[in-house]
Amino acid sequence: MRNHEASRGRVRGWLDAWGLSVVGLALLAGLLGFPVSGWAEDAASASAAVSYRDIPQLGGSRNIIWVIAQLHLLLAGFVLGVPIFAWLCEIVGWKTGEKRYDKLAKEFTKLLTSSYATTALFGGILLFMLIGFYPKLMTYLTDVFFPSFLVYCALFLLETVTLYLYWYGWDVMLEGRAKVFHLFLGFLLNVFAFFIMIIPNSWATFQASPVVIAEGSSLARAWAATWNPTWWPVNVHRLIANVVLGGFICGAYAGVRYLSAKSAEEREHYDWMGYVGNFIGVFGMLPLPFAGYWLMREVYQYNQQMGITLMGGFLSWLFILQAMLIGVLFLGANYYFWLGITYRIPGAEMKYRRPIMAMLVILLLCLGVWMTPHSLVASLEEARKLGGTHHPLLGVFGVMSAKMTVANLMILVTFMSFIMYWRAGKEETATWAKVAKALVGGLFGVAAIVIIVLGVWGYFVPAIVRINYFSVAQVLIVLFVLLTVTPLTALLMKTARTTTEMVWGRMPPRAGYALVLNAVMVILLMTLMGYARSSSRVHWHIYGVMRDSSPYAYSPALGYAAAFMSLNTFIFCMLVAFIFWVATMGDKAKAGHGATPAMAGGSQELDTHK
Amino acid sequence: MSEVVLLQLIGLGVIGVGVLILLFIQSRFPRVIGFVMIVLGTFSLVALSVPQMASLPPAEEKFDVASIKTANDMAMIGQKIFFSKGQCALCHSIGPSESARCPDLKGIGAKLSREFIYESLTQPQAYIYLDYRHEGPPKDYPARMPHINKNPIGLSNNEILSVIAFLQQMSGEPITVSPSEIAMPGQPVPVSATIPARAPAPPSPAKSKAKGKTKKADAGEAGLVAMVVHGR
Repeated sequence: MRNHEASRGRVRGWLDAWGLSVVGLALLAGLLGFPVSGWAEDAASASAAVSYRDIPQLGGSRNIIWVIAQLHLLLAGFVLGVPIFAWLCEIVGWKTGEKRYDKLAKEFTKLLTSSYATTALFGGILLFMLIGFYPKLMTYLTDVFFPSFLVYCALFLLETVTLYLYWYGWDVMLEGRAKVFHLFLGFLLNVFAFFIMIIPNSWATFQASPVVIAEGSSLARAWAATWNPTWWPVNVHRLIANVVLGGFICGAYAGVRYLSAKSAEEREHYDWMGYVGNFIGVFGMLPLPFAGYWLMREVYQYNQQMGITLMGGFLSWLFILQAMLIGVLFLGANYYFWLGITYRIPGAEMKYRRPIMAMLVILLLCLGVWMTPHSLVASLEEARKLGGTHHPLLGVFGVMSAKMTVANLMILVTFMSFIMYWRAGKEETATWAKVAKALVGGLFGVAAIVIIVLGVWGYFVPAIVRINYFSVAQVLIVLFVLLTVTPLTALLMKTARTTTEMVWGRMPPRAGYALVLNAVMVILLMTLMGYARSSSRVHWHIYGVMRDSSPYAYSPALGYAAAFMSLNTFIFCMLVAFIFWVATMGDKAKAGHGATPAMAGGSQELDTHK
Repeated sequence: MSEVVLLQLIGLGVIGVGVLILLFIQSRFPRVIGFVMIVLGTFSLVALSVPQMASLPPAEEKFDVASIKTANDMAMIGQKIFFSKGQCALCHSIGPSESARCPDLKGIGAKLSREFIYESLTQPQAYIYLDYRHEGPPKDYPARMPHINKNPIGLSNNEILSVIAFLQQMSGEPITVSPSEIAMPGQPVPVSATIPARAPAPPSPAKSKAKGKTKKADAGEAGLVAMVVHGR
């Protein structure tokens, strides 16, 4: 009897320990088994090369690929963004001597081990699915890109080795030269990660903007295909976007933990972490629209029809949704800054109330202009009354000149919020502080006026002049402000006296929800623009080269696509929550025995822990 | 029930579940999930409220030999091949273009003989065009011309002749390719459709340069300023 119970206990223990793995493996086998059964059906009848396979019972090959590819891409963005985020935090900790930054960096690096595995899992599933569902396309791409496949594999090996050294060597490389070497490892990790990102980018961008492949060695052909016109714009855009994703996901994690924090110490810590995450997210978000502008410019240069499909064709309404998401993201990021000024800096609430209100009004007005559609959805009768599909008053805001102007103004306002938060609770002591402050104010004012003037002027010049000169000038003006005001403020703050200490852990619960909202907006934006990039190829697997002749050659309407975007965003959020849970599970157990808590953080007490 | 209505109902349902979670569950993590569900459901509903336009693929073009009766028919098919299977428009423009990575083909049918065009398509390294659209010495164009009759493009002889017909028609020249040169399925290629191994150099005024191997092609009305290097 006792033996029987012991045996039952062992089985229960085994199930507890391995149950999840077994279920996971069974699911994986099932997923992989479906296409295999599809192949088996086809194999009997296939006499010639098969172009497509399908599993309509599971929603069709296109939808399966859509979900898997999107999740893989989001996870990849996360695992490439986190090392950048962690490395930046480690550098800040090293330079300032504040250990909490180093601990934050370490804890986020820990996430990489489990998130790499999940990303690779989805990458493997995606590869099997692509080979199974789209054999003709994959044969073509393999023929063109095979050498880069090998480089990709080699990079993964290097990245893995570097990650092991970076993670396991953290505690033995804490001081002196060893720390410098550790920072170098972090740099290497990011270099390899960058190349791991840009190689698949070359495959995807080749599909959208292929170049003709002449004869030559495999390497020469792969190289020619890699250097396609949209490769670098996408590389730069994705690199910045990954930083934004990493930052806002850190913020969202901190937000969730802040909401469920039980002690004042925990609240302080996660409040601080949310601040760091939001800071890095906003830091990356400011230059992101410029990279997007460059990408669209290259798309137009490459193929005007593709540009028109995106901006003026069936995808034009997508950019209204994009404006809405970016607008909410800007509002969310600014709102979090404003809450920080109000709650973390005692006495600052009244002082900053007016500027905050002014900035809120400007942001809302800008968002209204950005979201104004070029043509209205109107019935024939309504259109007749309006005298066309353009609104008689607001129609003027529906064109690119207005949208570029407000996008730049929103970036300026967000940057202003950031500078305001930076300076709050401090008093400048430098002798040249008055001149510097006047210069900063003047720069913001002049920049805003010039951007508006160029925007209005843009209505009266040919489109090519506006695109090539005016829009570029607007972007350069904003960049100039960012690049001059940031170091100037840093110099001012170096000698500034703190008048009011920042108090952590006093933010209201809505601050936590604002952080979660920001992360969801960024993820939704990535899914939305992924759909845009893919749909701009319309009925081509490789634009103008290989036609999609499958039953799924059409691009679905926005509503249908948005359902998939929401689904993918939700699954991704749950996966990331799972990864965080798994990564911190052991720490919680240790914390219960008096060891270091899950995440290192903001309080002095936590700083003293090693 | 239409797809849009169904999706709207799903969106409303997701928002409803999110609201119920926020109303009745106090645990923080499920509340955050409820909040995310409300955000995602709202996004879906907004996306369903804008015009729902799908992009349907156009009918696939087939090269139907039987349908070719005149040279104009050939030119029409050639035009389709130029912009699709032939991938010519990936690099070449018809008219000046800043972004074109290869010579502008406007008026090319008037400048070059059909034999020379055929050779340019099937033996593209025989004469190399260099880019003179800038100060200083000429440069190679960014893209290298592939053998158009070999993989991956692999145009058939019929298709190449059709493209030549299109280039000639587009340049306002009489089409010198005849439908009789089109090979019917299972038949050998007509003798007239084959091209001499070495086509004559461009019929434009060419100036001999170093060792007689470098020839300058006609600048041309369309701005095709190029250098051809024989046998490079």
